[in-house]
Amino acid sequence: MLTMNNITKVFRTDLVQTYALREFNLNVGEGEFVAVTGPSGSGKTTFLNIAGLLETFDGGSYSLDGEDVSHLNDKARSRFRNEKIGFIFQSFNLIPDLNLFDNVDVPLRYRGFNSSERKRRIEQSLEMVGLANRMKHLPSQLSGGQQQRVAIARALAGEPRFLLADEPTGNLDTKMAHSVMDLLKDINEKGTTIVMVTHDPSLAKQAKRNIYVRDGRVSELHEVAAFAEEESQTTAKASNG
Amino acid sequence: MWEIGPILRALMRNKVGAVLIAIQMAVTMCIIVNAVHIIVERKALMARESGIDEANSFYITSTGFAPDFNEQVTVQEDLDMLRRLPGVVSAIQINAIPISGGGWSQGLQTEPGAEHDGAYTAVYMVDEQGLKALDVELIAGENFSPTDVRWRERSQSDWPDQTIITKAMAENLFPDLPYQEVVGKTVYINDIEPIIIKGIIDKLQAPWIGWDILENSMLSPEKTLFSSSRYLIRTEPGRMNELMPQVEEMLAESNKGRIIRDPTSMPDTRERSYRSHGAMIKMLTVVMVVLTLVTALGIVGLASFSVNRRRKQIGTRRALGASQGAILRYFMVENFLISSVGVLLGAALTVGLNIYLVQAFSLARIEWYYLPLGMAILWMVGQLAVLGPAKRAADIAPATATRTV
Ligand SMILES: Nc1ncnc2c1ncn2[C@@H]1O[C@H](COP(=O)(O)OP(=O)(O)OP(=O)(O)O)[C@@H](O)[C@H]1O
Ligand SMILES: [Mg+2]
Repeated sequence: MLTMNNITKVFRTDLVQTYALREFNLNVGEGEFVAVTGPSGSGKTTFLNIAGLLETFDGGSYSLDGEDVSHLNDKARSRFRNEKIGFIFQSFNLIPDLNLFDNVDVPLRYRGFNSSERKRRIEQSLEMVGLANRMKHLPSQLSGGQQQRVAIARALAGEPRFLLADEPTGNLDTKMAHSVMDLLKDINEKGTTIVMVTHDPSLAKQAKRNIYVRDGRVSELHEVAAFAEEESQTTAKASNG
Repeated sequence: MWEIGPILRALMRNKVGAVLIAIQMAVTMCIIVNAVHIIVERKALMARESGIDEANSFYITSTGFAPDFNEQVTVQEDLDMLRRLPGVVSAIQINAIPISGGGWSQGLQTEPGAEHDGAYTAVYMVDEQGLKALDVELIAGENFSPTDVRWRERSQSDWPDQTIITKAMAENLFPDLPYQEVVGKTVYINDIEPIIIKGIIDKLQAPWIGWDILENSMLSPEKTLFSSSRYLIRTEPGRMNELMPQVEEMLAESNKGRIIRDPTSMPDTRERSYRSHGAMIKMLTVVMVVLTLVTALGIVGLASFSVNRRRKQIGTRRALGASQGAILRYFMVENFLISSVGVLLGAALTVGLNIYLVQAFSLARIEWYYLPLGMAILWMVGQLAVLGPAKRAADIAPATATRTV
């Protein structure tokens, strides 16, 4: 489904080169729910951006949904994102000037659906996240948890194969975080493949699979406990330093 | 595809900048359209022909001062000399110069008596060579013969009994007759003095370019004894500049009892007479260019500001599947919508200003097609101005969605 082989990503700024990913290997199968953890700066967002075709990479190969995506041009990549990938962001990224209906409508318009099809999908997906009655509200009139639900509705309205989430609960309190997590699990149950970056071990634990990224490389953790321990160590290290 | 609905709704939540730009565009359009209208009108005025061979004509003044100065002899000698000079097509003594700003006018009327109204006309006193020197064409009747031409004293107020008038004047006097039939008619000058119309000429403008009956002119067969004479000299094509100093020197040498001054070419005369028109055109052009630039810069500024403010939103749109083209289009459409409000308002303002100008300065009304034309131009200015910022928006990386907080 998602196959990365020896992906390398280098950020060059003036004289400094940062290897954000080096020989990054990962295989995600259909229907998986993968939680990605790792210390700050380890390359999680970079990985997710490359996975979601938001960024290009410098070496290695990447195929998504059976297609080698390394040589797609910008237009094809946009189309790919629009049709097959749903994004959820840490800070929701709703468009502040548009109401919920228009926000969910954004990717559907790029998709080229007609207006009745869009309306059906918008209503259905807002219904799914329990906000169908707030369609005319602006994002600023909602709580953080509600905003993230709208973002999820927006990500799912086009029925993508993949859902990519970068710390989707990072800006939410525990209660709201868990309810968003429950929603993601539901979505995964219905067949959408999910890759989620998180700092929260208790949420990662709920995913079907955990991978751990460190210095731009994957180390798969089959045992959640071991991961949790390592995570708390690095957190401690970070706070000491 | 065009996202007009959402763009409009988003605009409605950020009205201030957009409204200011729309107003600026409206004012710009209003001023540009009216300025173009004025320029076109002025240009049309400037393009009018005087009827004479301007490129090859000049005039010069001779003023006698010596106690024994004999003007009649001098004028006759001068004219003989000038007409023999190689390169001169014709030369006449004339009391006034077309489009120069100064001259004589008289009223002519078709019925005798002070109770009747007349038509005003410029008066040019010329001899039988007048037609040739003025380069006018006789289209009906006859030219003056040398015996028709009389000498006029300064104090004299009566008129010769013959005249040649322009076609425009003929039609003014006898609106119901074809101009050919005006030949032989008697008209009255000074209310009761009869004059017979001997001929009709095609075209000769009066001295005053602002006159609304600029085409009304009459030729009177006389030479003047006003102690100061003006000679109009028409040269062969291309020889005016060479002959002007030559004529000045020749006249000055030939008779020391007078002074020769103010040799002036017709092109200079035209330039001087229409100078204010030319200046007005230049000023309006500068105003138009500056205003358009300021408006365009305003649009660039607003668009750049709004692109910067929306970087994260643009990144998010890219992440959600917007192509670069879709982002470019977003800003172009947004600008088009703002411009549309601007040009509609502008159309109303334009008509308003024009109505005011028509009433206050008796300007003509603008042609209807100036409005769509002005709107199209402003739309284009808007689209061109927003192109740069829109391209920058399209270049915002999709990863901006995840990399900005
Ligand atoms: N645009 C960029 N230019 C230069 N370096 C960058 C850029 N983006 C990321 N990096 C570097 O790449 C490395 C990986 O960054 P990345 O954002 O993927 O980390 P992360 O695991 O998501 O961290 P966090 O948990 O803090 O979000 C870091 O060292 C970062 O500084
Ligand atoms: Mg990150």
